Order: sequence, then C-alpha cells, then structure tokens
Amino acid sequence: MMRQLASWGARVGVGFLRACAVAVVTLLIPVVWAGAVALGILWGPANPWSWLLPVVLVGTGTLTLARPVCRAVRFLVERWTGTVVPPGYREPGPVTRMSTGYWWNGHSYERSRRDAVRDQAWRTWWGDPATWRDLRFAGTAPFTAGLAAAVPPAALAAAVLALAGPSPLSRLVGALFAAPAAASAPYAWRLLEPVAVRSLGPSRAMLLAERVDELTAQRADVTVAQAAELRRIERDLHDGAQAGLVALGLSLATAEKLMESDPERARALMRSARAGAAGSLAELRDLVRGINPPVLTERGLVDAVRALALNSPLDVTVTADGGFRLEPPIESAVYFGVAELLTNATKHAGASRVRITVRRGETGIVVEVEDDGRGGAVTGDAVTGGVATGGAVTGAEGGLAGLRRRLAVFDGTLEISSPDGGPTRATMMVPCESS
Amino acid sequence: MRIVVAEDLYLLRDGMVHLLEAYGHEVVATAATGPETLNALLTHRPDAAVVDVRMPPTQSDEGLQAALAARRQVPGLPVLILSQHVEQLYARELLADGAGGIGYFLKESVFDGEQFVDALERVAKGGTAMDPAVIAALVSSAPSNRRLDRLTERELEVLGLMAEGLSNQAIAQRLFLSDSAISKYTTSMFGKLGLTDDENGNRRVLAVLAYLNKP
Repeated sequence: MMRQLASWGARVGVGFLRACAVAVVTLLIPVVWAGAVALGILWGPANPWSWLLPVVLVGTGTLTLARPVCRAVRFLVERWTGTVVPPGYREPGPVTRMSTGYWWNGHSYERSRRDAVRDQAWRTWWGDPATWRDLRFAGTAPFTAGLAAAVPPAALAAAVLALAGPSPLSRLVGALFAAPAAASAPYAWRLLEPVAVRSLGPSRAMLLAERVDELTAQRADVTVAQAAELRRIERDLHDGAQAGLVALGLSLATAEKLMESDPERARALMRSARAGAAGSLAELRDLVRGINPPVLTERGLVDAVRALALNSPLDVTVTADGGFRLEPPIESAVYFGVAELLTNATKHAGASRVRITVRRGETGIVVEVEDDGRGGAVTGDAVTGGVATGGAVTGAEGGLAGLRRRLAVFDGTLEISSPDGGPTRATMMVPCESS
Repeated sequence: MRIVVAEDLYLLRDGMVHLLEAYGHEVVATAATGPETLNALLTHRPDAAVVDVRMPPTQSDEGLQAALAARRQVPGLPVLILSQHVEQLYARELLADGAGGIGYFLKESVFDGEQFVDALERVAKGGTAMDPAVIAALVSSAPSNRRLDRLTERELEVLGLMAEGLSNQAIAQRLFLSDSAISKYTTSMFGKLGLTDDENGNRRVLAVLAYLNKP
C-alpha cells in the first residue's frame, strides 16, 4: 500500500514537472504576444504609433523563437518517450572563395566570407519548408499540448491561492482544485508526443526532397560503377579475346605461307591456332559469366541459383517456391548477391554447409543465405569501431557494402546477422511487382 | 548417319552441316528455332541430332527444352547438345531419364572434327558423351568430392574419361597405358565405390554418371 502510494506520488511529481516544462516551452511565444498586446494597451489609444512596437515584437519574437522552441520540444519528446522526431532542416551548402577574391555561397557573390555565410543562412532559413512548419507548430501547439500541460500548474496555483484564503469555504475550494492538479499531472504532458510527431515531423514535400537527394546520390554511384565495369570489360576484351584473335590470325597466316615449304610446321601452327581459339573462347565464356551468367538468361533466378549451388565446393541446399521470373536487372542483382554471399561463406567464414531459401512474397523477393561458418561478418555500413575476429572484415566487408549498394538501386535491403562463432545469416529483400 | 542440326546462327549451322557432310554424314534437316527443332526431331527421327541450347523465339533454353520434349515422346532419341557454356544443372537434367543417347559439349569441341564426330557416333549408338568440362564439374561438386576422396589420382583420371563416355580402349590410348592396366584400375575403382562393373560399356558409363549425379 505504502509502496503503491509512493510510486503514485513519484509519477505525480514527475508528471507535474514535465507538464510545467511543456507549458513553459510551448506557451513562451504566446507570452511574448500577450506582453506585446499589454504594451500596446499600456500606451493607450492616445499615441497614434502605439500599434507599431507590439506588431514588431510579435513578429520578431515569433520568428526568432519558433526554431528554438521546436528544438526544445523535439529534445523533450525524445528524452521522455524515446520517439525521435526528425528535424529535417535544410543544410547550408559550402561557401567557397572564387579566383576573383569574392565569396560564392551557391546564390550570390559577396565581398567577405561573413557576408556570404550570413546571406546564405538567411536564404536557407527563408527557403526551408521546415521553417514554415516550425512557425505553424509555434502557433498551434500552445492551444493543444500547451493548454493541456497548463492544467496541473494552473490548478495547483489556484489551489494554493484558495488555501491561503481565510474562510473555510475558500479552503474547500482549494482542496477541490488540488485534486485535479494531482490527478491530471501524470497525463497532462503526454499530448506533446502525438502533436510533435504529427506536426513537427518532416512533411511530404520534405520526404520527397530527401528521397530525391538519396536517388541522386544513388544514380551517381551507379553511373560510376557502370563506367568502371565497362572499363573492366573493355580491358578484358582488349588483353584477352582480341589479342587472342590477332595471334590466331598470325598463326594462320604463317601456316598458309609454310603450307608448301614446310607442311609439318604448318600443321603444328594450325594445331596451336586451334588451341588458341579454344583459349580465347574460354576467356570470353568467363567474361560473359561475370557480366550476365547464361543460365540466368536461359532459366531465371531460381535455376541460376541452383546452378551456382552445384558449382560451389560447399554443400549447398536450395529451397525455392516455383519457377518465377522477375525483371532481369533484379534477377541479376540478386543472383550476384547470392554469388557474393556464397564466396564469403567459402573464403571468409570457413563454412561447410550453406542453406539458400528463395521466396516470392506478396511484395517482393526474399533470399536467405545461411552458413555454418565462424560468423563475425561485418558489413561496410555497420562498422562501429569494433573489428570482427572472424577475419571476415577486409574482403567480405567491401563486398557486402557493394552488395548493399547494388540492392539499394532497387530499394532492396541486405540484413546480416553474424555473431562471432556463427552462424551467419544474410537476408536480401527486394520489393517487386508480381508478374 | 541421318542427322538433324538445330542452331540459330546461320554461320555456325552452315559450318556444322559442312563438317558433318565432310565426314560422310547426311544432314536431313536444319532448324533455327525451338519449335522447328521439336518438329524436325519428331518428323525425321534422325540417327542423331546436334542441338544448340539457346534459340529463338525466347532466346532462353528453347533448344534444350525441345530436345527434352522430343526424348519424352521418343525415349532414347540420340541428341548431342552444344552450348557456349556447360552447366551441371543441364547435364543432370539430360541424364535424368537414364536412357542414354546423350551428348553434352561446349561448342569449341567441334574444333577437333574427328573427336566430335566420334562422340556423335557414340551418341547415335545409344552411348553417352560428355565434355571434359562437364565431368570436371561433376567430379568436383561437393557430394562427389566426399565420396571420391578414396580414389587415387590415376583412378580419378580414369573415372573422368570413363564418364566422358570413352571405352577402355580409348582410355588406354589417351593415357598411354595398356588395356589390362585400365581394367585393373576400373576393377579397383568400382570396388571402392561399391558399383558393379558391367560388361556393356554404355551401362557402365551411365552407372558412373548416375553415381556422380547423386546429390
């Protein structure tokens, strides 16, 4: 009983303090408004310019206070409830000095760095949709979260005032006020969270802008990767098959010349030419396998993964539902993902058994690769200072980061669970329409 | 032999026809698409067929599917599959019916016309002929690897050539050994693997391939 009472008391106390904090933060701007209005009234209607100062006060007060208030609200919400409300403010770009000596901030040239930064800060602030969202919040929050949070302190204040009164009636009224003050305290501040999430989170336009940035970065990534890949193919062809064909032509030309005079050497040259042609073909075959494996074209993802499993030195079992075809680029990305994960299982994890599951869900394709190796795989994005002991860091890490990037192009994801000592389970997920 | 050639690239098809005719065989029909292939195989019932895996209209494994479909209707119809790449997956599918009369080769195997025509003739007689690359892949796959580690290197070599479809004599020639040495190797090999040595060469090859194929 005592313990319950104590914990209730603690909840009331904490709630009361939080309600006070919310009330102070959200009602700060209305207090400025009220002060401005009071000033105007104080100067009275006699002064024809009496409206000017209050208007200026309301304007500058609201504009300068909106962002700090919103920051404080986000901070409080995150601290009390753990809910993170992303701020989504626009970051100012770099300010650079041009060869003319002037400073360029992305919008205008300025004589000094300070001017450039100030001009940029102003433009960023003005053009940022988050600024207008903050202002909206500053205007509306006092009437929602602010009013609710003001109930306990207001009731307490009323109770204290009434209890200080001399008559028994006023004491009774005081007691009546104290009850709602205590009862509402644990709940009054809670309205802040939904209000903040609803109106302080990034808006649709901001989310879209973020998405555009993400896609732009991805496109640049893909372009670079594609160019590198083309260069690699060109180099392989140039040094391999092309050179091989030149040698082949040379051998044949020499053989033709020698046909009459030295048929034995001519025959030997023809034989070596044949071997050279076979060699060039083998090189081309390997190259093609690296670009787009023929089984993938001929049979689709599931059979291509089966072929991969057959060629692996490990004991690989493949479970898949049915033969379905996806968009070729997705099939290719997932196929090379499986190949990468199998290579990691062989090279880095020291696994002996691998289980691959290919599932076609409602919203996309899910491929799971699980091995019985020593685990400890670290993906590029997840490195947090700790170095894996499994030895899976160097090669596998870069590979996994690259894999994640390739999947991201299709909004796909890669999740890796790889505790030290294993097992490693990698799950690739790519959303796609069922066809 | 009466032969059907199915290949979508004109130059290769033409070259193949010339090669086969140079060795005294008759090409009764050519096909350039999957449906044409199936049709030619079923109407001409050739002694042997050379079929490319990838063909129009879908540019997927049309040729392979046509060959498999024809063999479902005419069991054991001799087909030699030619492809730019060999896959264990396809080899397993081709061998699955155990009827023989199957060949599976890389396209460059035609560089050695003699060996190629030789393999085709073996297939026509109901034998099997596999590209060394196919056998190498089958032998090095994980399950076979475990089961084959009891064999000596020489025995493995003999097993590989046997799986390619060569007779004891041919293996002896390839390895510069005597016939009796080869039969000594095969006996010890079959003993270790628990296979019964069949006098019929083809059944023996199939037994070896089935063994390698076991998951």
